[in-house]
Amino acid sequence: MTPASTSEKGPAVRRRERPKRSRLRNAPWTPYLYLLPAAAFIALVFIYPLIEVVRTSLQVPAATGGTSFGFTNYEFMLTDPAFRQAVLHNLILLLSVPIMTVLALLFSLLLWEQMRGWKWYRAFIFTPYILAIPVVGLTFIYLYSADGIVNTALEALGLGFLTRDWLGDPRLVLPSIMSVIIYRELGFGTILFLARMMSIPTELLDAAKTEGANWFQVHRYVTIPQMRSVIEFFVVVEVITMFSWVFAYVYTMTKGGPGFSSMILEFYIWQNAFEFQSPGIASAVAVVLMVAISGLIFLQVRVRRDESGGDAEH
Amino acid sequence: MESWESWKRVREMEVVPLSNVRRTESPERGLGVRGLSRREFLRLAGVGAGAAAFPGLLAGCGGDQQQGNAPKTKSVEGKLTFWYWGESDAPGANQWMNETVKAYKEKKPDLEITVVPQSTATLISSFQAAASAGQGPDIASQWATGPVLAQVWQDAIAPISDYVPQEEIDQWLNTNENVYNGKLWAMPYYIIGIATAYNKEHYDKAGLHPENPPQTWDDFLATCEELKKSGVTPFSIGNQDGYGGAWHFSNMELQYLNSLQEWVNAMIGRAPFTEERYTGWYERLNFLVQKNYYNESVNSLTLDRGHAIFSRGESAMSFGTDGIVRQWQQDLGQDVVGIMKYPKVAEGNLAKAFNATQSISYFITSWSKNKEEAGAFLQFMHTPERMQRWYELTGVGLADKRFDASLIKDPVLRELYEWETTGSQVWLENYNPPQIDSEANLKAGQLIFSGSGTPQEAAQLWQSVAQRWRTQSPDDLKNWQSWHPEVSGA
Repeated sequence: MTPASTSEKGPAVRRRERPKRSRLRNAPWTPYLYLLPAAAFIALVFIYPLIEVVRTSLQVPAATGGTSFGFTNYEFMLTDPAFRQAVLHNLILLLSVPIMTVLALLFSLLLWEQMRGWKWYRAFIFTPYILAIPVVGLTFIYLYSADGIVNTALEALGLGFLTRDWLGDPRLVLPSIMSVIIYRELGFGTILFLARMMSIPTELLDAAKTEGANWFQVHRYVTIPQMRSVIEFFVVVEVITMFSWVFAYVYTMTKGGPGFSSMILEFYIWQNAFEFQSPGIASAVAVVLMVAISGLIFLQVRVRRDESGGDAEH
Repeated sequence: MESWESWKRVREMEVVPLSNVRRTESPERGLGVRGLSRREFLRLAGVGAGAAAFPGLLAGCGGDQQQGNAPKTKSVEGKLTFWYWGESDAPGANQWMNETVKAYKEKKPDLEITVVPQSTATLISSFQAAASAGQGPDIASQWATGPVLAQVWQDAIAPISDYVPQEEIDQWLNTNENVYNGKLWAMPYYIIGIATAYNKEHYDKAGLHPENPPQTWDDFLATCEELKKSGVTPFSIGNQDGYGGAWHFSNMELQYLNSLQEWVNAMIGRAPFTEERYTGWYERLNFLVQKNYYNESVNSLTLDRGHAIFSRGESAMSFGTDGIVRQWQQDLGQDVVGIMKYPKVAEGNLAKAFNATQSISYFITSWSKNKEEAGAFLQFMHTPERMQRWYELTGVGLADKRFDASLIKDPVLRELYEWETTGSQVWLENYNPPQIDSEANLKAGQLIFSGSGTPQEAAQLWQSVAQRWRTQSPDDLKNWQSWHPEVSGA
């Protein structure tokens, strides 16, 4: 096409196209059209499974070969001692969140101080986090077994009176699993906190030191308040982890035993869905778990907003 | 020493309903509702999406999961495919099968036979996938009774009695384990039983007669006490996987029953599991545990690892099957290891039965295009020369009356084989639906061994798990209701 032809035909073409484009652009449904692919994707990936799980949770197999609908699965779940134990154990596992947070803060502060060999320590602390959970679980089976490395070492050190059946004793199995979770998740918290610390303006710290604040006061009144959002993020992530991401630890280490001493909600769901072929019960627990986690997060958001006087949203 | 009778009396007074024991209370708090900001909404939406991913996983994994594993194997005319399992029970089984195929091909050179060894972990799930797809091997393996009948009820198995002559079947032992509706559905090959092994040296050291092991409950308790006093662990077992408890179940509960139908009655809801005849034996097990007659590591060792304790000479008694007893003899010496039947704990008709089973069973699939040929090959496995070779390679006795038991030279193993092949044999665990076995049987034993539950809670667990199974698996329940198992040799 030559410049001449453009000048001759161009305006005519534009005259024909312009009204069409503006009609499309100005149509009230146009934004929805643009949203449609994303909405369809979300519906398929999130909303359909959600509806399907709720529907399955209400389904009860009937002797005639079909299914009926009702709350039988929920009733069974609420009366099942194993379910109640699982809820209790998940709540107990939440205790590891403050422990992990405090330890991660402590380690990140020590690393931030750039103590001798801090880069090595940083790698050392983070390494467990990149290991697959089953690998960690199996390793700790060998460490924690009654005839495992921990007890053997204790006996060798003349501390035989401290030996325990760490995974076989119903009173110790949950704390033992908690220690493994902390061991692995600590690296994540430490690195997360360290990254945030490194972005704190040094002027703030210098000002505090000039005002005569000691090491503890600097961190208590300057560093930690600066890290509030990242600490909150870590706590939320770990709370969710304690409810919905600890299956692999329990599966590899104890399978919920001895008895139901380390039964947790995820394992309960898995067992019902795949071992006992009771998808209805599994789905009922999944629905309850989802509601519980959403409730916890809702609560956390509210607390945060209340504390910041409604500024958190800005 | 506190006696069993006084213990029993005290325990009877301590019965506390399960609902009182495990009650947990959660405080209820009212939550005010107010509008969410856009930012909070987005945050919650993100969390909601994360939470939704969990049920998504569940939904994604359900339904067609078994179809997704459907095997590529198809039955082709003139070609036999055999999904074979045996090596785990009897090392040497795979070599024997290769030799058997070779020998059969000499007879029928035009026939192509493919043997696919199966792993223990996927034995049930692989065949389940084949059954769901309606295609797979011509011959397959499943453990006797429950797993076999589950496939019978899915129409995945053709009755072997339609393809093998009755006079041949009459030679096989323990066929009752796979009989349903008057037909035999699967073939036994070898036989294993649970013996109580004891270390004669430890008996001797404790001042007990090494050739006179206990036969009654009271004798057994006195024996345990003497052994404990002598400084040795009276009984060792591993129960991390629940099978230590399951083997106690097979040995003790069986003695309370008058018939297998009595057991099935509890399963299908005609009698409660909480009755003494079904779960009363947990009191006895609990007594043994509370007296510290078991190894301290019982809860953190699997059954396999638990066997190693006896093997190292660190305990005086343990449970073992044929191959395990043979291994113990090699480790400790032939003269050191003795065997006995588990002491008498109850007076039911089945107290006389021994805990033996064919373990694995072989069957012809319903979709096979070579059913006659498959039947002929299975029959060939029972020819005298094949059976003799089996014993040479594995050392495990055959489930066949024609097997020459004089080949078993060791007197202890010969005695064990006699127990397994004379009188009645029942491996009671075979008569549990898989879900009930893993959730009630394995877990209840763990409750007792770990001290995290009482015998009453163990009984209640059986009851509630069976109730769930009946509600969730109405089709299975219908099949179990129509099944009337009988005891072999009875």
